[in-house]
Amino acid sequence: MAISAATKAATDALAVNRAPVSVGAQEVHRWMQSFTWDFEKNRTKYSTKYKMANDTKEQFKLIAKEYARMESVKDERQFGSLQDVLTRVDAANRVHPKWNESMKVISNFLEVGEYNAIAATGMLWDSATAPEQKNGYLGQVLDEIRHTNQCGYINYYFAKQGQDAAGHNDARRTRAIGPLWKGMKRVFSDGFISGDAVECSINLQLVGEACFTNPLIVAVTEWASANGDEMTPTVFLSIETDELRHMANGYQTVVSIANDAAASKYLNTDLNNAFWTQQKYFTPVLGMMFEYGSHFKVEPWVKTWNRWVYEDWGGIWIGRLGKYGVKSPASLRDAKKDAYWAHHDLFLIAYALWPTGFFRLTLPTAQEAEWYEANYPGWYDMYGKVYDEWRARGCEDPNSGFLPLQWFIENNHPIYIDRVSQVPFCPSYCKGASTLRVLEFNGKKHSFSDQWGERMWLSEPERYECQNIFEQYEGRELSEVIAEGHGLRSDGKTLISQPHTNKDGKMWTLDDIKKINCVFSDPLKAL
Amino acid sequence: MSIEVSGGRRGLTDPALAAIILAAVPDQPLETQRKMNYFMTPRGKRINEYEVLCCYTQPTPDWIPGGLDWGDWTQKFHGGRPSWSNESTEMRSSDWLKHRDPAFRWHALYVKDKAEEWRYTDRFLRAYSADGHVRSMDPVWRDEVLGDYLGAFGFSEYGLFNSHSSVVRDCLGDTLRMSSAMIGLDKVDNAQMIQMERTFLAKLVPGFPEATDIPKNEWTKGTIFKGSREVVQQIWQETYDWNEILFSGHMVYDPLFGQFVRREFFGRLSSYYGDSLTPFFINQMQLYFSQTKGITTDMFHTCLAADGRFGAYNTRLMQVWANKWLPRTITALKDFMGIFSKIPEIKGVSDKPAIEAALNRVFDDWKHDFADPIGYKTDTAALIKTVLSGLK
Repeated sequence: MAISAATKAATDALAVNRAPVSVGAQEVHRWMQSFTWDFEKNRTKYSTKYKMANDTKEQFKLIAKEYARMESVKDERQFGSLQDVLTRVDAANRVHPKWNESMKVISNFLEVGEYNAIAATGMLWDSATAPEQKNGYLGQVLDEIRHTNQCGYINYYFAKQGQDAAGHNDARRTRAIGPLWKGMKRVFSDGFISGDAVECSINLQLVGEACFTNPLIVAVTEWASANGDEMTPTVFLSIETDELRHMANGYQTVVSIANDAAASKYLNTDLNNAFWTQQKYFTPVLGMMFEYGSHFKVEPWVKTWNRWVYEDWGGIWIGRLGKYGVKSPASLRDAKKDAYWAHHDLFLIAYALWPTGFFRLTLPTAQEAEWYEANYPGWYDMYGKVYDEWRARGCEDPNSGFLPLQWFIENNHPIYIDRVSQVPFCPSYCKGASTLRVLEFNGKKHSFSDQWGERMWLSEPERYECQNIFEQYEGRELSEVIAEGHGLRSDGKTLISQPHTNKDGKMWTLDDIKKINCVFSDPLKAL
Repeated sequence: MSIEVSGGRRGLTDPALAAIILAAVPDQPLETQRKMNYFMTPRGKRINEYEVLCCYTQPTPDWIPGGLDWGDWTQKFHGGRPSWSNESTEMRSSDWLKHRDPAFRWHALYVKDKAEEWRYTDRFLRAYSADGHVRSMDPVWRDEVLGDYLGAFGFSEYGLFNSHSSVVRDCLGDTLRMSSAMIGLDKVDNAQMIQMERTFLAKLVPGFPEATDIPKNEWTKGTIFKGSREVVQQIWQETYDWNEILFSGHMVYDPLFGQFVRREFFGRLSSYYGDSLTPFFINQMQLYFSQTKGITTDMFHTCLAADGRFGAYNTRLMQVWANKWLPRTITALKDFMGIFSKIPEIKGVSDKPAIEAALNRVFDDWKHDFADPIGYKTDTAALIKTVLSGLK
């Protein structure tokens, strides 16, 4: 239409119709796919062996301002609950102490995952060629900032309002001391950001989010609530409302590479590696946090795992991707075995190393021992009697001079660290499937606890060179390590970590640890 | 009672559970230090909520300055390249975690602002359309300038938006990462607002083309945006140093080219052509520019140029980068001068003296806000003269 005619038409139209008009988000989004243009050097800075299709769509079709509106509404509800009613009922002081301790770890470690996911989805935003797909990843970048802040808010809230601020108030500084940190970095940090961009997407979105956020972010809210914690459900369920879009992003990643020949060659191997990477840490750690970090139990971890990981993810979610050639990981069967005993094995080690934590741990009570035995027959003979022995030797009492770590040494049960997952294991005292494998490379020994990690290392040893805590601390006395890692409360003497949550129990100090003269050694050097 | 609870029983409200929980809770708090991140140095007198929620979330080891962790990466790229590394930028810092958004916006505050802008935009568009404002708009301005050239400028904003992706992946600090994502989102918001305006006009003006093919053709093949397209492509895809991406985009190109196009061309001229719609969107973009300027000047001036150990080196590097990106930006502006031949001239508004005055404002601002703080010397009068040589 000519300019003058268009103007006249506009004027005529307005003469008969003055209805207010606006523009909806979808009306803008439908043009987004055309926002990019071709030019010679238009390619990603992060290499991938896959080719992501140029015409990949996204499902949620948000624009920047609509994204902000949606999130702002959710924030109002969430922070309104936290700052108003939950504060007025003193909710943070009505949480079971064991759970208060668990949230020091859960919230901070999830924060690390969310934080690294900012970078991971930045890489995917760079790697994707389709503007809609970029837009989906961009939304996730912003979400992950939101979730980082939200996880921080949990620790912030517990520190400010709760019964034991130590560990909540400085987790970002003290978390690196203990045996759980490096493994967490593998799954939640480096596994998301270091590698082939699509491989990272599989780790983050297809496995981390589609598989493990259900137990980590949804199931955890039931455990929290049962133990008096209403802050965590308020925040975590708000986080979960964003996760659906992230799972869709993972789905779209697979869709975008489905027609690429590389997908048929590599996708299932990458998926298997990603699944094993994630489950190797999450299966034992989540089970441990839920069952050993709570007073009231919701259900045995093995049931939760079976429902969310094995059936929902391994069956339904992966089944939906079957048309793109995706198969359930071969390692799923071995993971299912881990879901039964691995968290019990890990707690034994975690408790033995309790002074290196930034939280208090608690030995199972008699009532809990009954519950474990009922749900995991054989539990007492393997673990319960050891805890009874430790308790009898005074492991909770600072005057006893006994650290459970000594029991492992006395009984010749060395604790190793799996080089690939960085998860500690004790091959001579475990009911899980861990077996010791030691390989030497470039004059250095490496221990592994399973065939899947060993295979990853054999393929690319240069990716897994990280020192473990025993190599790092070798020859150092325990109290020195704790002090250097800032594992002390504000009085400068008392440890943040403690081997009990008994309100009448005496707290351990740095001097109590120093008297024991516990010196770290690297078990690989003894081989 | 059993310790296994079912049926959604809640420890806070179920009397039986609550009694057991309360019996276990210490009578007094076990720790008196209740301030999260109490160990950090705040930017102001006290640690604020933004610093509590954002600072030290980055889990980098201490050999990346500012990090609190130790040791190596637990998984590296294929071939052994580290997850994050000091080598990702030529800049040096004593503390990569030092940056602060001057507005202290964490996610909730950032989206709250933008959500309000969205609601207000919706109300404004309804009022504008019901009031029939569009009738006063000059048709050449509307159909050619807004339809084609404003649309083409959207690609500049979209390209700059994409330049932030690798920054978000590679940068070495938590507050840097969050700020970079936010200023990146603002850039795609700008591109989307431009399309929103074009879609809105298409609803009001029969025959107004909302499709992106004409502006894209202008952007990719036309002469007016040739220089800017090349700069944007170079920032987006040819620059690997994440600091250089931010510096070239936000300390050189956008404060000069972006400011001239948004503020001095579309913002200033629109009212002379009866257009009260475009300034509504441009002003939002200018708000984002202002916020971004606060962020990037904090990154480059407050943190890197003033770094106690590396400040002098960083300043020299910024000058080198300015030498590299300024001529390209001048070319972009020179090419853009061609747009004045496309619009009916208004004396004192779009004639050469007015354009020169506008350029002076932009270059004076840039000199004051961006060049002087790093001791960068340049002859702005000569630069303006070069730009004006692009007038047809």
